[in-house]
Amino acid sequence: MAETAEAQNGATETAKPQISGDGQAIADNSKAATSAESTAPAPGKDKPTPAASGGQFAPIILKKRYQINPGKPLPEFDGPSAKAFEASDQRDPSRPLYALVCTPALPPRMTIMAELKNLTIHGLISLVEYGEAQWEPLGQHVMLAVFERPLGGRLIDAFPAGSVKVSEYELSRRVIEPISQALIRLRDLNIPHRAIRVENLYFLDADHEDLVLGECVTTPCGYDQPTIYEPVERGLAMNSGRGTGNILDDLYALGVMSTILLLGRNPVEKLSDDALNAKKMELGTYQALCSEERIPMALIEPLRGLLSDKADERWDTGALEAWINGQKKTPMQRRPPQKPKEPYLFSGKKLFSIRTIAQAFSNNIHEAAKEIKNEKLAHWLKQSMMLPLVAEEISKISAAATASQGTPDGSEEVMVAKAVMRLDPEGPIRYKGFSFLPDGFAVALAAEYTIKNSYQMPAEILERDLVGYWFSCQGSYNDFMAYEKTFSTLRSFFKINEMGYGIERCMYELNPSLPCQSEFLRKEYVTHAEDIMVALDEVANTADKKSRPMDKHIAAFIATHFKYDIAPHLKALSNPQPETSLIGLLSLYALMQWRLKTPAVYGLSRWLGGLLSPAIGSYHSRSTRRSIENEIPALVRQGSLPELFDLIDNAQRRSQDGADFEDAQAEFAMAETEILKIAGDDIDQTDAAMKAGERATAVTAVVFSMVAVSTLLIINTI
Amino acid sequence: MARITEDYSNAPQPQGKKRGLGGNASWILIVSVTLFVIALPTMILLLFGMLPSMVALIIDRSKGKSAASTVSAVNFIGVFPYIMDLWKGGNNIDQALGMLDIFTMLIMYSAAAMGWLLFMSAPPVISSFVMVLQQRKIANLRKQQKSLIEEWGPDVAALTEGFNEEGGKAPHDLQGNAEPQISEPTAPQ
Repeated sequence: MAETAEAQNGATETAKPQISGDGQAIADNSKAATSAESTAPAPGKDKPTPAASGGQFAPIILKKRYQINPGKPLPEFDGPSAKAFEASDQRDPSRPLYALVCTPALPPRMTIMAELKNLTIHGLISLVEYGEAQWEPLGQHVMLAVFERPLGGRLIDAFPAGSVKVSEYELSRRVIEPISQALIRLRDLNIPHRAIRVENLYFLDADHEDLVLGECVTTPCGYDQPTIYEPVERGLAMNSGRGTGNILDDLYALGVMSTILLLGRNPVEKLSDDALNAKKMELGTYQALCSEERIPMALIEPLRGLLSDKADERWDTGALEAWINGQKKTPMQRRPPQKPKEPYLFSGKKLFSIRTIAQAFSNNIHEAAKEIKNEKLAHWLKQSMMLPLVAEEISKISAAATASQGTPDGSEEVMVAKAVMRLDPEGPIRYKGFSFLPDGFAVALAAEYTIKNSYQMPAEILERDLVGYWFSCQGSYNDFMAYEKTFSTLRSFFKINEMGYGIERCMYELNPSLPCQSEFLRKEYVTHAEDIMVALDEVANTADKKSRPMDKHIAAFIATHFKYDIAPHLKALSNPQPETSLIGLLSLYALMQWRLKTPAVYGLSRWLGGLLSPAIGSYHSRSTRRSIENEIPALVRQGSLPELFDLIDNAQRRSQDGADFEDAQAEFAMAETEILKIAGDDIDQTDAAMKAGERATAVTAVVFSMVAVSTLLIINTI
Repeated sequence: MARITEDYSNAPQPQGKKRGLGGNASWILIVSVTLFVIALPTMILLLFGMLPSMVALIIDRSKGKSAASTVSAVNFIGVFPYIMDLWKGGNNIDQALGMLDIFTMLIMYSAAAMGWLLFMSAPPVISSFVMVLQQRKIANLRKQQKSLIEEWGPDVAALTEGFNEEGGKAPHDLQGNAEPQISEPTAPQ
């Protein structure tokens, strides 16, 4: 709760353009959408609440070594989505450090943290330590990252009167060279930085000589990047859907950053994101940024190379290194974007490329649907762009939508989304304002839930298989086979409507570092299966004991992170019969405690013990039930779930109970049969008794007769 | 006697039963003819002395022929002393016919009458005892069922209810084990 306001405050600050020395904005560092997303409120809570003051909280110790002081913020090191605080090394108090508090709603780059920890990379700020800890100002556990503190502060803060203009000679020596070295090292580690921007440059030393890139681990790739720093296809996606990207995206950002530093301002700062993207698409990035500027001759070629909109034509680190070393590269012949014979008129605007048409369509779905259906677009593609194949595909999409009319697949939104993918196959998937590249779906899905508390868009995208359609639009299919396999698996999870599956499973499979979003565990920051039972044990004291310590998030989280076969447990957990579901729940936690060697969980044990009535009721024998009920308190006090489970679902006891119950049923049925023989509805008891009397009389008479005859025979014989 | 006649006179006789009676009649005929050939005096005495029993056999249409059995048994006690006398005497037809005087016939038929009296008086008394015993047995069985329900719950009667409702196999049986599949999750070792 507190975090949201705090983050919003930060967003408000960063939303202000950074003013350079000559009074011009450098970069619109944080557009409104970014601010809104970076506030990361708890799901379902759109309005931020006032932040708790950090001054009243005691310092915390991370990993028994690094002290972080919530009462001493360092706003000069704040990121758009992470607040900075003073930190110190208890073993070396003189070591300058600062800590960033990650936004709990966003998955940090945990695997990258593990790789970069204590790794010294020239040109990159060093990550010293990271880990989760209770952060009192937010009242919950958060991920903290401790970095080496840059003594010279932020680049843009270091220049007097905000003059950040860098000469062409210094740009190469002091900016491009160290950063390219960092990028080469990151390339070798297969780690894209994805946070290269002017605001993320620091002077490591107090003399402002050693320039380094800032951190890149506290937020997902590209999440905090202003649109200008993103290649067109990623800039068109929403912040959370920009995707992991690669070194070429970093080089593009380096090109943009170099241009801004060279010019001393953002040449397109007055343009909105949409307008900037449109300009990039119609003119190309270099032209969009530099056409009206004076670029030194020596920098024209590297900037053209770095700002190339085609990834395969963009300068790589080798080309950049060669340029730094003074080798001249033959200028590439660049073809200008294909111009139409006549512009496409849409919503009163003239559009000059199919990519801009795609973007315009995604922003006005209803009008776009009309133009797809009335063949206006297909006609224009054939006549003005000489693209008969694309026109044919658009016609097919229209025909398919007409054929599926009335179904979700035949909706205008799906039709337009598919048409947009055909028009701009390199661009993101754009569906009802939810735009992402396939490698950005993970964060997009997580952010959609954690910020908007909604799965609607991601679920519809999986349901309609729009990602599969995107793959089919790509020229080189092999490049995306791994992604397609991933999405195929996701769809199979999504379609299973059971605990441990569904969209929640997709979210945790895609975001291994995302903490469990269960209502029970939101404040605990659980990122490993090992922690989930301990966290549940802690919340047991305050949780509603009538509710079960399980929900879709916990089940999906466990299914993702607990590396043992729990399919039978999940199936039992999903069983509509409460007793079976409860036993499934208990067996799952018992298995986890046993496998993970979790110490005694007294709170969770007590919580579960109080819920077991239906499970005990699954035994037929009342005496067995009473016996189990009497034994439960002792086992609860031991905190051992395997033993509790063994008591509740002992195979031998259950088998015996079943067999005894069958015997009892048979005994009951036999008794009933006997009773029916005597006093059934179709039997006249008096008549039957009379008949019995008659039979008895006859038998008595016969016996008496035989006795009498025998006696007479004996007497006469004697 | 009227009750017995009313109860069973209109009862349909199964085909198999008719064939059985026909078979029995043949055997009775063969045995009777044989006995008449080898023991004619005794058979004459029995024929006349057991006439009430034959009448009882004819009019008793009940399944167990209890009335006929009772009358015959007591009737035979009245006839048997004269058969003994016949066997101790000449055991010829003349002696047999000579023994059939009014006094002998009165004794024999009085015995048969005693049989009828016994049949009419004893069953109500015996049935009263039977009723008491049956009620006690039902009470014991109900008590047993009650204790089963107390231990196993109402479900223990599911099988019985199935039989009552369906008149045959219970749904429980048809569906296999209707217990919840609670052994599905693997138990931690």
